[in-house]
Amino acid sequence: MSSLLVQMLEGTVTSLQIFFLTLLFSLPLGFVVARGRMSKIRIVRWLIDLYIQIMRGTPLILQLIFFYFAPFYLFGASYDRFTACIVAFVVNYSAYFAEIYRSGLQSIDKGQYEASHVLGFRKSYTFFHIILPQVIKKIMPALGNEVITLVKDTALAQTIGVAELFRVAQTASSREFSTVPIFIAGIFYFVMNYIVSRIFVLAEKKLDYYR
Amino acid sequence: MQEMIRLTDLKKSFGSVEVLKGISFSVNRGQVLSIIGPSGSGKSTLLRIITQLEKADDGSLVIDGQELFTSRSGQAVYNRENARAIGLKTGLVFQSFNLFPHFNVLRNITEAQRAVLRRSKDESEAKAMQLLRKMELEDKALMYPCQLSGGQQQRVSIARALALDPEILFFDEPTSALDPELTREILHVIRALAEEKMTMAVVTHEMNFAKAISDNAIFMDSGVIVEQGTELFSDPKEERTRKFISSFDS
Repeated sequence: MSSLLVQMLEGTVTSLQIFFLTLLFSLPLGFVVARGRMSKIRIVRWLIDLYIQIMRGTPLILQLIFFYFAPFYLFGASYDRFTACIVAFVVNYSAYFAEIYRSGLQSIDKGQYEASHVLGFRKSYTFFHIILPQVIKKIMPALGNEVITLVKDTALAQTIGVAELFRVAQTASSREFSTVPIFIAGIFYFVMNYIVSRIFVLAEKKLDYYR
Repeated sequence: MQEMIRLTDLKKSFGSVEVLKGISFSVNRGQVLSIIGPSGSGKSTLLRIITQLEKADDGSLVIDGQELFTSRSGQAVYNRENARAIGLKTGLVFQSFNLFPHFNVLRNITEAQRAVLRRSKDESEAKAMQLLRKMELEDKALMYPCQLSGGQQQRVSIARALALDPEILFFDEPTSALDPELTREILHVIRALAEEKMTMAVVTHEMNFAKAISDNAIFMDSGVIVEQGTELFSDPKEERTRKFISSFDS
């Protein structure tokens, strides 16, 4: 039993690695994608839209398989499962985050830009000091939802053989003819998401000082 | 008398709609110009071009001796070097205040002083408090815009504009979002500024107020100046002006 728990904790570490690495890359990348989606150049807008549609319109599990096997079929070379898994998650989540950012950016009144312009703020100053703080407040609930989904989605990494929490649980389950490991994994996911949602509640409270 | 604004033959279209069809006027230092006219007559667009929120199509504009744009073969050519300096000479107060909701009142007034004029924290805060006293809002310095009434928000936005020491202050229907009582607060503030000889151009629907404070007035309709001069309030010459002015008598 204790060796099972140790195995599951190791799996959890891998799950958390997927989780944090995905956030680390896709949170900023989502902004780049959002800007591209709102670009004045039509072809850029169109290409970014196509990318977002593909990411949202196909299963993540399929994208994982694609990013794992595509390099082999296309270039005859492959990279390790974990890297493929991170690439797939980052590419997928950047698309979702981009849509959340876009909704936030578009909800800011144009009067905020105009007031900033008239007061003499430069464009980047306006973005980082006036617009971005308001966008972050507006998107917090949607962002929280997406991050919670990400915790659960890490379980999909097992599709390409990454030994994350759910795969460890499943292997143990079939080895011991018991569903207990699966149940324990469920508790692990629940605890992780409980922490994530608490963090978002705190963040929303902290930003609640203005409307 | 020193000329603060000289606008000549300004033209502007949005797509195929010509909203300004050759507007010319000038404002001297310390004078108040009121701009009146029905909705859609181009008043706001006019202010937005002078405050650089929109680009002119044709015409020329000189602010305090500096040229913002000039007409060359039927097109407005901007003087990029002057644009920023001129922007600092002009301030604009919006109909919808456009305060920064995530900053408290004090920071709304200090932010541009610090970021744009590079004033120190102490200096910008002292300036902000002095303006808040003037606006009778010194007890609201640490509140957020959402905690204030519309009239208070508009007074903060006037203080925010004044904090950069503009040479000319523009008002774009500053009381249109306010009920009559709050409107009085704002008109009181603008009147006080007029008495201090602040150069101002005010787009407004408050006829009695405009008549009382203006040194000059223009009546605009469908993109042209129909009539000019303060007599248009009491003794309008043009039929269109007469109709518009009388629509305010109740």
